[in-house]
Amino acid sequence: MIQDKMRIVKELEKIVEPHAVIHKEEELRVYECDGATIFRALPDLVVLPTTPHQVAEIVKICHRDRLYFLPRGAGTGLSGGALASQGGIIIGLNRMTRILDVDIPNQRAVVESGVVNVWLAQKISGDGYYYAPDPASQTACTIGGNVAENAGGVHTPKYGVTTNHVLGLEVVLPNGETVEIGGKVLDPPGYDLVGVFVGSEGTFGIATKVTVRILHKPEAVKTLMGIFHNVEDASNAVSGIVARGIIPACLEMMDNLSIQAVEKYAKAGYPMDAGAVLLVELDGPKAETEALAELVVEVFQDHRVREVRVAKNDEERQLLWKGRKAALAAMGQIRPDCYLQDAVIPRTKLPVILKEIEALSKEYDLPVANVFHAGDGNLHPFILYDGRYEEEIRKAVEVGVRIMHRCIEMGGSITGEHGVGLEKQDFMSLMYTEDDLEAMMKIKCVFNPDQILNPGKIFPTSKSCVEVGQSKRDRIRYEPHRIEKEGLAQFL
Amino acid sequence: MTHIEWINSLEKIVGPEHVLTGPEADTFAVDGKAPQAVVFPSSVEETSSVMAVASEAAVKVIPWGAGSQMALGAIPERVDLVVALKRLNQMVDHEWGDMTATVRGGMRLEDFQQVLGQHQQFLPLDPPFANQATVGGLLATNASGPRRLFYGTARDLLIAISIVHADGTVTKGGAKVVKNVTGYDMNKLYIGALGTLGIIVEATFRVYPRIGCEKTWLAPFSTLDYAEQAIAQIMDSPLVPNALEFLDTEAARRISTKAQIDWPAGQYALAASVGSVAEEAVDAQIEAIDRICRQVGSPGGNRLHGDSHHTFWHETRDITPGKNGAAPSHLRAVLKGGVLISRVAETFRFGEEVAKAEDLDLCMVAEAGSGIVRFYLSGEDQSPQQFVERVASMVERLRSGFVAQGGSLVILQAEAELKRRIDVWGPVKGLGLMQGVKERFDPCNTLNPGRFVGGI
Repeated sequence: MIQDKMRIVKELEKIVEPHAVIHKEEELRVYECDGATIFRALPDLVVLPTTPHQVAEIVKICHRDRLYFLPRGAGTGLSGGALASQGGIIIGLNRMTRILDVDIPNQRAVVESGVVNVWLAQKISGDGYYYAPDPASQTACTIGGNVAENAGGVHTPKYGVTTNHVLGLEVVLPNGETVEIGGKVLDPPGYDLVGVFVGSEGTFGIATKVTVRILHKPEAVKTLMGIFHNVEDASNAVSGIVARGIIPACLEMMDNLSIQAVEKYAKAGYPMDAGAVLLVELDGPKAETEALAELVVEVFQDHRVREVRVAKNDEERQLLWKGRKAALAAMGQIRPDCYLQDAVIPRTKLPVILKEIEALSKEYDLPVANVFHAGDGNLHPFILYDGRYEEEIRKAVEVGVRIMHRCIEMGGSITGEHGVGLEKQDFMSLMYTEDDLEAMMKIKCVFNPDQILNPGKIFPTSKSCVEVGQSKRDRIRYEPHRIEKEGLAQFL
Repeated sequence: MTHIEWINSLEKIVGPEHVLTGPEADTFAVDGKAPQAVVFPSSVEETSSVMAVASEAAVKVIPWGAGSQMALGAIPERVDLVVALKRLNQMVDHEWGDMTATVRGGMRLEDFQQVLGQHQQFLPLDPPFANQATVGGLLATNASGPRRLFYGTARDLLIAISIVHADGTVTKGGAKVVKNVTGYDMNKLYIGALGTLGIIVEATFRVYPRIGCEKTWLAPFSTLDYAEQAIAQIMDSPLVPNALEFLDTEAARRISTKAQIDWPAGQYALAASVGSVAEEAVDAQIEAIDRICRQVGSPGGNRLHGDSHHTFWHETRDITPGKNGAAPSHLRAVLKGGVLISRVAETFRFGEEVAKAEDLDLCMVAEAGSGIVRFYLSGEDQSPQQFVERVASMVERLRSGFVAQGGSLVILQAEAELKRRIDVWGPVKGLGLMQGVKERFDPCNTLNPGRFVGGI
């Protein structure tokens, strides 16, 4: 809690206009959660600057008074990262929306961090260019938020994630200093600070300007859908495509329960009794996509495909995508609430993990629908429950924990694109040793030595930057993990 | 710990036959500074124990892969111990179905490629002297080559890493899956850090399927203007060459001679490599590139495939300074410029002008689609002092021009004399943060002291 809140409000109102400082409880409610709605925390204040200079001025006040603060884009994040979980000030960046520079000959754009992902694509579309990272929330989420979370999307098998497209940043550090790192030119000498900043979940600094790579649109896009009897055949088809040396732009899979949900909701024409659908998108020069499409169809046939649909025009392409895009919204057809997991396994383990998820679903008597980025082994199990019953919430969380645990045992990761935030900090120690986490803390302490910026996120235990790097024998004594305290350790 | 004590400790860890001292260690000198000892650990545990001893004895450590890029970096403050990784060269796994592979830091890239090739896969990193480089070394120097245009660089391909820190602590970052945002992306920190934060002992990469069919279109241009237009038009098109290399007239002459390609004298060269599963798709792109080149004044070029394609790219990557590629080491230097991609041809113009004014022999090779220009300088008829002065002057002029457009100029290769005369790295953005990183990770300044940016 901020002491003497109204004094801070008055100071902030000198930096931004009075209506851009939010301090009444009913108005602050808007900011009490993000896309991970199971977490709630009310900030003390929200301030909405319009320029990078204002951000720096606000941060200087926070630094002077050692107030907790954090940045927030559109609040579409799915791990609770944009919540003031320990109170403090949220600096909302969604009024910083200028596209500062579109530099077609150099294939770069410079935007303020509050620019919505899809706005950039729209701005450069007329020149024949696009911005590759396309998270599902791209019509709402901001590029600054994408930087914080290292957001993915459906085009990652070929084009990678946000970090592969961010080349420079202007950052306001937690002491109020503004630094520029990276830029339009590749290979700047020195440590890759841009690379470590991307995905730091708003704990290193507030990115105010972002320099991104933009790409020329492909000459042709070819979208194919394979309808399979079961998930095994579809998974094997994925491996077959890869084994042929094809790198699709997208490789998405949905299981039967997902198909049923989206059919009821969106009527995309998927057969209700199909075991799995595989959506493949190829892009590039026309001769290339045509040749590859033939190979993909061959692979489908090698794996007993039931039906192949190939989009002949953009309208048909949209139809094939309709079901996939409606997935999250459609889940309400089955149960009122949904806990969306995000975990990664080596791709060849897909059939195994899906069987295990099915078994868990039976054991807990909760439906679990699977939609995933099959090309990267990035699972998105939708654990469906009814939030009116405490017991169902508990079971949903447990299923999620057990899925994560199995993914790690298979050599995977507990999050592929949603981030750790508040949701998964207790699971960090499943993947990383104390020394691994200590190395991460060291970097954090370089950027954020007082830990006033976005405190209480990512790491399982809090440690001051003075303690970080002390020799092992001086380290703080063992404390039980939160998972352990809550009795979930039995699954670990 | 005395000199004898720490060397004894090292011998206990790796066995006396794997510790070199005296004249044998002199061949591991860095910028003329020879180490007191060279140690060859064969496992991650041994490397960790070696570093624990080194930090306790307060000796300064130089990590060493194959030694092919040791000329990079400023002159080290002190050289006590070289930790050479050539015995840490094991393949850990190749999950070919998942298209990931893990190797130890001392494995040679060429050996790694051979293992990947058994399943028709490869790591799309093609740095200069790829046949010598080790995986750890190329990560530490962030080495890359022409194919970065399509496949990116180490930062796009490395998915997990293990590091032995200055005090011997071993940590890992990332995971053996292609998509992962659990915690900070520690992989990025160590790439291009020149071993100043820790020794890379293990690395996991995302690997790619081998390219089914690959061909190159090699087009001559009589002027920089024409070539500039061709580069701009290819870049501003839906064509996706996996490499787009631009050679000045001298580089074109040397490379075409070595690759036995019939080449007209005095012409610049633009080389576009195209790959695909399907040959007809390759040919379609090659024809489109040829059309663009002709439209802007190229008389038509050569289509390279098979051996001629491979030889051409091999010679392009491994070009060295000197008229015959063999200037004596004190009369040669290699520079790397980072510029805006729209200014590559202009950079050639600038380079020619400055080299002429300084009376240096120059050839230039650019990754045109990435804005990376390499300058190979020699002065075979000059005195060493003259050469140093002229190169230093050239570095200053180029650097100020590149930095003004947001770019950089780094000296990749030079003798110590030149490094004493001029900063290897040039100005760096965010130096204060970088110094903070170094202090946190290597507080006693054990690893590669003084070789990195800003005296790190």
